[in-house]
Amino acid sequence: MKVYERLSQAFKAEGTTNVFGMMGDGNMYWQYANSKNGIIMHEVRHEGVGLGMADGWARATRNPGVCTATCGPGTTQLATAFVTAARASSPVVAFCGEFPTSDDEYTQALDQAAFAHGCEAAFVRMGTADDADEAVRKAFYIARTQSRPVLLSVPMDLQQKEWDDDDPYVPSTAIIPKRTVTPHQSAIEQAADMLMKAKRPVILVGRGAQWAGAGDEIRKLAARTGALIATTLQAKNWLGDDEYHIGISGTYATKTAMNLLSESDVVVAVGASLNRYTTHEGLLYPEAKFIHIDPKAHVLLPRGRGADHYVQSDGKAGVAAIDAELAKRNFKQLGYRTGQVKEKLANAWEDRHEYKIDAGTLDPRPLCLALDDMIPDNISLFAGSGCTAGFTNIIFRKPRPIVMPGHFFGCIGQMMPAAVGSVIATGMKPAILMDGDASTMMHIGDFDTMVRYKVPLLIFCMNNECLGAEYYKLDAHDMAVETSCIPTADLGAVARAFGGRGALCRTVDEVKKATAEWLANPGPMIIDVRVSRSVVTLPYRRIHYGEDE
Amino acid sequence: MIEVNERIEVASTPQAVWAILSDPSAVVECVEGAVLGDKQDDGSFNAKMAVKFGPAKISFNANVLVEYDEANQSGNVTARGKDGISGTKFKTTMHFKVEGQDAPPDNVMTAVPIKAECELNGRLAHLIESGANLVIKRMTTSFAEKLAERCGGAKTT
Repeated sequence: MKVYERLSQAFKAEGTTNVFGMMGDGNMYWQYANSKNGIIMHEVRHEGVGLGMADGWARATRNPGVCTATCGPGTTQLATAFVTAARASSPVVAFCGEFPTSDDEYTQALDQAAFAHGCEAAFVRMGTADDADEAVRKAFYIARTQSRPVLLSVPMDLQQKEWDDDDPYVPSTAIIPKRTVTPHQSAIEQAADMLMKAKRPVILVGRGAQWAGAGDEIRKLAARTGALIATTLQAKNWLGDDEYHIGISGTYATKTAMNLLSESDVVVAVGASLNRYTTHEGLLYPEAKFIHIDPKAHVLLPRGRGADHYVQSDGKAGVAAIDAELAKRNFKQLGYRTGQVKEKLANAWEDRHEYKIDAGTLDPRPLCLALDDMIPDNISLFAGSGCTAGFTNIIFRKPRPIVMPGHFFGCIGQMMPAAVGSVIATGMKPAILMDGDASTMMHIGDFDTMVRYKVPLLIFCMNNECLGAEYYKLDAHDMAVETSCIPTADLGAVARAFGGRGALCRTVDEVKKATAEWLANPGPMIIDVRVSRSVVTLPYRRIHYGEDE
Repeated sequence: MIEVNERIEVASTPQAVWAILSDPSAVVECVEGAVLGDKQDDGSFNAKMAVKFGPAKISFNANVLVEYDEANQSGNVTARGKDGISGTKFKTTMHFKVEGQDAPPDNVMTAVPIKAECELNGRLAHLIESGANLVIKRMTTSFAEKLAERCGGAKTT
């Protein structure tokens, strides 16, 4: 057996079923072995898109996503996607070829360790052919235990060596202990003491709470303490059917939410990093004490602070323990859960600002409302990171199997790959992606990949023919907005040229018609929706124009 | 750096306008969300100022020093402050002058040209930079209106 064949066996033993990437001479033999081992390869048109898909796979399943690129120029294409996956805490293993150990002057030579370091990825190198098992195990071990991307660098010549060890491969899962981090009783009692003194508690839930499956426990604790439920951006719409769910805490909060949250006296943050956006640099909760529940030993908050009370615990176990302690003390209160608050929440989502709509375009707000209404709740939602996210992240409110916003690394163009990877990871269940024109154009070449693999993803390209974030910043500074404008072709026609489906729409009714056709027969499709630049998102109104709503 | 270059026109005499501007407590009453605190040994004042950036309110603890030039009816204001929650800091220098108007149109008897520079620092500052620009301009307009109101009605530009 060759080393590349052993490497493939090792990946399979680690649970790899799908690989995303592009073939080159640094990974082609390994890919060939994968095909013989039944591992499905998804050939993309840009290596970074492959890593983005593996990132999406990881976010959807919490299992390592796997991608591949050849040595040197193939590997450097991974840069933005690597950083994005690192910021998303995604377990990803990137199998990268490396130039031959015997040829320092190889054209595609690259210091891949330095590259990985710059991209915030861990680096594992197969230093000798005998280390094949150890290198793969270590890469997966890091990905799983540190929840981060890993560049596994494998010199081309070493892949061709003979492997003559008959011992079975031992996967990283065999050496990683499985245990739930349970809370210390004194920490629970202190949290209960704080909640008993609170009049207006908020339970702020993040992805960690979702991953822990703490939904029922959170609902119970919220009902007992009279708490509002708010989410981080990444946990958007989770538990959204609770009648005192207030939506996102942070930049994408409604004005009503911001006003209510600012009155809070205790925040129980569960599996949430409490980053600067979630608390709006702390300004959202000027009077609140924080109870932070997280399985890590401790989580440092922005500006080098810690929570007022930290409970090291799995989210589900921690919340259940606090609720049990309060039950033991016979504690129950109305808190925020009054008719008056319910009435405020009922009107919280209305955007009353009126704009004159540019000719031949539509208002993106009624568009998002109509789509959230007409697209069934069994269809997942992915949201890009550009300016149009300011519509999607506030207006789409329906809980769905996956609701995945972007924003990691603040880059555009990364959500289409993540959406495709997630859709493939979850058994090709239909999904929609709301994104902007610059993002859509960035990786339009990989719409071809969507078509080849028949990925049932409908991309709504909210096309304002400009770089939206820059357009509004320039406008706020009274500078020429035209410098940020880039006309686009009919992207519906482009989608059709690739062999998928597509439409160009200028009214909500046209969009609804095209969407209905996709719902009847989901497949790869782009709807190019021309939206009016005159309509400014709520977050931009606040940030760039200093307006209240 | 946010620059303000405004001219407030008031339908009152220069003496009446100077009477207000030369009294720090009267000036602070014209600034929305500001409250004057104790006078310090160096002649400066502590102050609190709440500024709304969108729906979020930033509460600055500030120190304000006003230096008057009575002969020229002008003044320099230096202020710096910090918000304890977000860590946002500001530093402002402002120069104003009370100018009488010859042959005033529309009863405008006094003009107060104001030149100011305001620097915001801290993580929030980058996020709200362009919005802050507009917020400060709105605050200047509000200041002009309140000053005019105190002087007995006026117009501003």
